Amino acid sequence: MGSFDYLLHGFGIALQPMNLLWALIGSALGTAIGVLPGIGPALTIALLLPVTVAIAPTAAFIMFAGVLYGAMYGGSTTSILINTPGESGSMMTALEGNKMARDGRGAAALATAAIGSFVAGTIATIALTFLAPYVAELAFIFRPADYFALILLAFCSVAVVMGSSRVRGFIALLLGIAMGTVGIDVMTGQPRLNFGVMGLLNGIELTVVLVSLFAVGEILFVASRYDPGQETPISVRGRWMTREDFRRSWKPWLRGTVLGFPMGVLPGGGSEIPTMLSYTLERKLCEKPEEFGTTGAIEGVAGPEAANNAAAAGVLVPLLTLGLPTSATAAILLAAFQNYGLQPGPNLFTSNADLVWGLIASLYIGNAMLLILNLPLVGMWVRLLSIPKPQLYAGILVFALIGIWGVSGSQIDLIVMVIVGVAGYVMRVYDFPIAPVLIGLILGPMAEYQLRTALLSRQGSPWVLVETPISIAFLVVAALTFVLPPLIRRLRARS
Amino acid sequence: MQQDSRPSRPWWLAAIVVALGAVCVLGAASLPAASRYAGIGPGTVPRLVGIALIVLGLILAVQIARGETFEPQGTENADAALPMNPLAFALALVAAVLPIFALQTLGLPLVAMVSFTLVARSFGSRRLLVDLVSGAILGALAWYLFDRLGLQLGGFMPFAGLG
Repeated sequence: MGSFDYLLHGFGIALQPMNLLWALIGSALGTAIGVLPGIGPALTIALLLPVTVAIAPTAAFIMFAGVLYGAMYGGSTTSILINTPGESGSMMTALEGNKMARDGRGAAALATAAIGSFVAGTIATIALTFLAPYVAELAFIFRPADYFALILLAFCSVAVVMGSSRVRGFIALLLGIAMGTVGIDVMTGQPRLNFGVMGLLNGIELTVVLVSLFAVGEILFVASRYDPGQETPISVRGRWMTREDFRRSWKPWLRGTVLGFPMGVLPGGGSEIPTMLSYTLERKLCEKPEEFGTTGAIEGVAGPEAANNAAAAGVLVPLLTLGLPTSATAAILLAAFQNYGLQPGPNLFTSNADLVWGLIASLYIGNAMLLILNLPLVGMWVRLLSIPKPQLYAGILVFALIGIWGVSGSQIDLIVMVIVGVAGYVMRVYDFPIAPVLIGLILGPMAEYQLRTALLSRQGSPWVLVETPISIAFLVVAALTFVLPPLIRRLRARS
Repeated sequence: MQQDSRPSRPWWLAAIVVALGAVCVLGAASLPAASRYAGIGPGTVPRLVGIALIVLGLILAVQIARGETFEPQGTENADAALPMNPLAFALALVAAVLPIFALQTLGLPLVAMVSFTLVARSFGSRRLLVDLVSGAILGALAWYLFDRLGLQLGGFMPFAGLG
């Protein structure tokens, strides 16, 4: 069977009424949390993880995929209507989109964002469909040393790319790796770094750390610098996309997709750089450059929004094929797989074909659902913004408590929550990136396992790490990530 | 105001990073560093991570000495330029600390009620009664729903013997 046959089979699974319902729940929930401040896709999936005890893995991942994509759509709505980009990926959308809305073209901006997201999401999913099996095949020839080099590359790029300072990026990453070593060592059975605390023998759960950093840290930070200035969303009315708008939008959609997808696939690519590149590119190619920064140029919304969604789909390639998460959301998805006793990677495509292809097929369906949920119904989502902020953040804390207490009902987890939550506050105040902590926490143990397996196979000779061309290539690229940031900074300064 | 001309120097940040690195190195000290076959053992990675943290902490200290600026990250509803409001921070922190001591005995709904009210208050809400009631309803409802889903959230109100 080729990819196409597998995909048809996947549609058979994703189109089952119950799975359609899960996709709808996920998409609606994703859009809602994308609109709401203080809660993003990673935190939502972490809080939904306890639910996985009750539902089958296929249904759970179809719902999670809906949350992942839906958050992108919801995020662009708030960027355009109230100029608050919920995440770094929609920062560029806010630049032009909000200006368009102020100029009475809010409906057109929302439409080009939603349709662009749909176009990019669908094209990127097609790319995922046909690329993933090949990458998975490739992974079969990876040896432990290659995997170790690949994870090292992911570490370097995540620490370098995310955030404003390499030193702080690496500190965040190493704190995550350090937390990952706590607990029983899988290879020797020895307890490590638990300092006699029995409750830490099982290690520190990713869910606990993620919820503490994203919910508790965020609540502490916003509470301490709360700005109650009530932002009123700009009216959605105004003229819809004209023929002229379509003519100006379709090329940026495609260019954004071409930029976003590969950057999402690469470790550490994330969504910030592709959206920034797309914005810079559109600004350069635009026929009416005078609209940029004044009345708002539609190209500046169409391109970055497409890049954002394509990157989100791209992140799924390394996650599904290699088990390599490159964003906070991907890290929690990996934890969800582990909750079910599944290990993403090449074997997943053969051992759990129903799950993988059902999930991929549901991405197509979710995208179509989201287009419908977001175009005619956008007014409904905007109404969510009228929830009073004090009660909204209070509610987030209650759900965070349930998410953490529900993991194992352990008092230690609650203590970890407070310590990591305060750390999350400090990291926000002193501008340390958060995602590398989570990547280090989940990939650290994997890196260590691969390293030790590789060394074991050669009686401890470190030369095993540079024996294959694959591992050498990854290590060289890892070294290169140190050269790239100055280049990126120059780009940022230009835009 | 002197703050504008002189950058604040948060030495304690670097000190914490170095201290955390030292904790890793100390914790690894009791672990065998090398096994016979692999060349490295369970202590190797914690030790390396600890050393790296110490080095990075020292680099951070150098950066701070050179006047590195730290700008708070931008988030929705927060104005990074505002000075810290210590009372609001303390209230929200108490809301997070309380469950450590109270969740097991008081049960989730009651703790949710109090923590909800504390966070809402830290965000400036003055409607005490409304917050208490909403917190209690949210906590009880969530407890019921997640309990039905098979999640172990402890008793409803353990101190009153309600499971």
